[in-house]
Amino acid sequence: MWTLVFRGLATGSIYSLTAMGIVLVLSTTNVMNFAQGDMGMFLAFIAFALLMRHVSYPIAIVAVVAVGLLLGALLERGLMAKVRKTTSHLGMLIVTLALTMILEGLAGYFFGTTPLLFPPALQGDPLHVFGAILDRQDLLSLAVAGVVVFILFLVLYRTKIGIASRSLAEDEYAAKLLGIPVRSIYIFIWATSFGLAGLAGVMVAPKLSLEPGFMIVIQLKAFIAAVLGGMNSVVGAVVGGLLLGVMENLVAYYVPQIKDSFSLILVVIVLLFLPEGLFGRRAARRA
Amino acid sequence: MKKYAPFLALALALLIPVALRQKPSLVYYLNLSMIYAISAQGLNLLMGIGGQISLGHAAFMAIGGYTSAVLVTVLHVPFGIALLAGVALSCLFGLVIGFPALRLQGFYLAIATLALGNVVTDIIKRLSITGGDYGLRNIPAPSLFGFTFASSLSQFYLILAGLLLTILVTRNFIRSKSGMALQAMRDSETGALAVGINASHYKLLAFVLASAFAGLAGVLYAHSVSYLNTGNFGLDLSINLLAITIIGGMGTVWGVVLGSLLWVFVRNLMGTSLEMLTGVLFGVILLLVVLFLPRGLSEIGYRISGRLRSNRQRG
Repeated sequence: MWTLVFRGLATGSIYSLTAMGIVLVLSTTNVMNFAQGDMGMFLAFIAFALLMRHVSYPIAIVAVVAVGLLLGALLERGLMAKVRKTTSHLGMLIVTLALTMILEGLAGYFFGTTPLLFPPALQGDPLHVFGAILDRQDLLSLAVAGVVVFILFLVLYRTKIGIASRSLAEDEYAAKLLGIPVRSIYIFIWATSFGLAGLAGVMVAPKLSLEPGFMIVIQLKAFIAAVLGGMNSVVGAVVGGLLLGVMENLVAYYVPQIKDSFSLILVVIVLLFLPEGLFGRRAARRA
Repeated sequence: MKKYAPFLALALALLIPVALRQKPSLVYYLNLSMIYAISAQGLNLLMGIGGQISLGHAAFMAIGGYTSAVLVTVLHVPFGIALLAGVALSCLFGLVIGFPALRLQGFYLAIATLALGNVVTDIIKRLSITGGDYGLRNIPAPSLFGFTFASSLSQFYLILAGLLLTILVTRNFIRSKSGMALQAMRDSETGALAVGINASHYKLLAFVLASAFAGLAGVLYAHSVSYLNTGNFGLDLSINLLAITIIGGMGTVWGVVLGSLLWVFVRNLMGTSLEMLTGVLFGVILLLVVLFLPRGLSEIGYRISGRLRSNRQRG
């Protein structure tokens, strides 16, 4: 039982990392980013290439997060800033879908479509704590997610740029009136989000096999986590991710008949009975 | 002249396979293009008219295709009834997913359909009646009223009939009360609500219709390709169908035909070694279309014909 819960939390921490990226971008820039998972996939491939060239593991992780930050900033500066002027929300969503086609195509072209084995960061026997069996890689991803959540909340609630981003998410018009530098905040948010994508990709890749489509499932679960937590709440994304991970593991063990359809059932139930999610506020209607 | 253009196009379309008698593979690709066009026509309705997005359109094709194929191969049901059953089951799934997702604003339909796409392929893979991971092989060719559409040449006409049906339904839907209501809502949700349009009702109608089109396309795919595998109905097909719709041009009935032809032929010209780059190419085209041609490639056609018309008026 505790092993199941722990494993659920570990998988959930990956969902949380991905969901946080999605929610950050959605609440501040109003873009539903369907490329979050595939950006993680692409960055995991870069990490894999680095590791194969005998770069040490910590350096590879730092490098990949840096590349993610850079790509996020570039995407906002080079593309999203232009798209925002010409198209609607639907158009921006489609831009992120185009991005998934490009990322998956490039990954498939350069690295092939045969699944690759991504080496885990921590090897060795699982630990036994209070009768629960704890895998070392799982512990690591939980720890990493914990540290990242802590830092992110410090930034969002204690620094100028973080508070400015939250005000932008709260009321874009008022934030602009107050002279908040919207363009730099958009860059900051996209960069943070793709940095998170890189971390999630590298943490989960050893548990799955590395191939161009391997993050699609994670991305789907991250969306469900975000819906569960409330689409515009970063806290909701963290809690939703962990909760989804645990529920999924328990369901797979105790009610294996509905294991495959669980995610769909959950989405339908949440949308029917709890459309704002656990932590979301009811979105104001806008014309 | 403009009045007769559709009939001229139809006559040309009827003659195409006769001209290509010597090249059955080309006819086969044309058939595939038309099947994808039928499916994308549903997205055109949903997205171009309804302003909603679906990421599980391939799943509805899988539902239609597998339902009909299993009915025909295992239960020996006649094709006509299997076809109706496939379309009906797609509609039912559309209703179940669309009802909770479309009452809410925003992108909830995209998330719910993404989940559906994943779940449907997982379940089909696990069932034994659907051939699991190996897929279903040797699905018999479609036959209606004692006539079997065995060759790709004869299937061409069957699929063309399906395509024309969806085009007619789409045209009428756009001009109907529901279509008008949806367009009003797409352009201004508050305005539409103010004049008393029931938003979720019409969105649901469009989504169920879109599911029906996808189901029909799935049935035709199953019986003309005669092989089904869940790998062919994943998220990438859903995204490609979206790309076909947007690249061809939303809001016009002919755009999706153009988009599907482009997609099927470019993909097969590039060959398997460059298949991955086709994805990149279409991603880039999709980006460019969103940025510069909001009404897709068919806009180029309209611009040219518009220019011709204005020249004639002038001169």
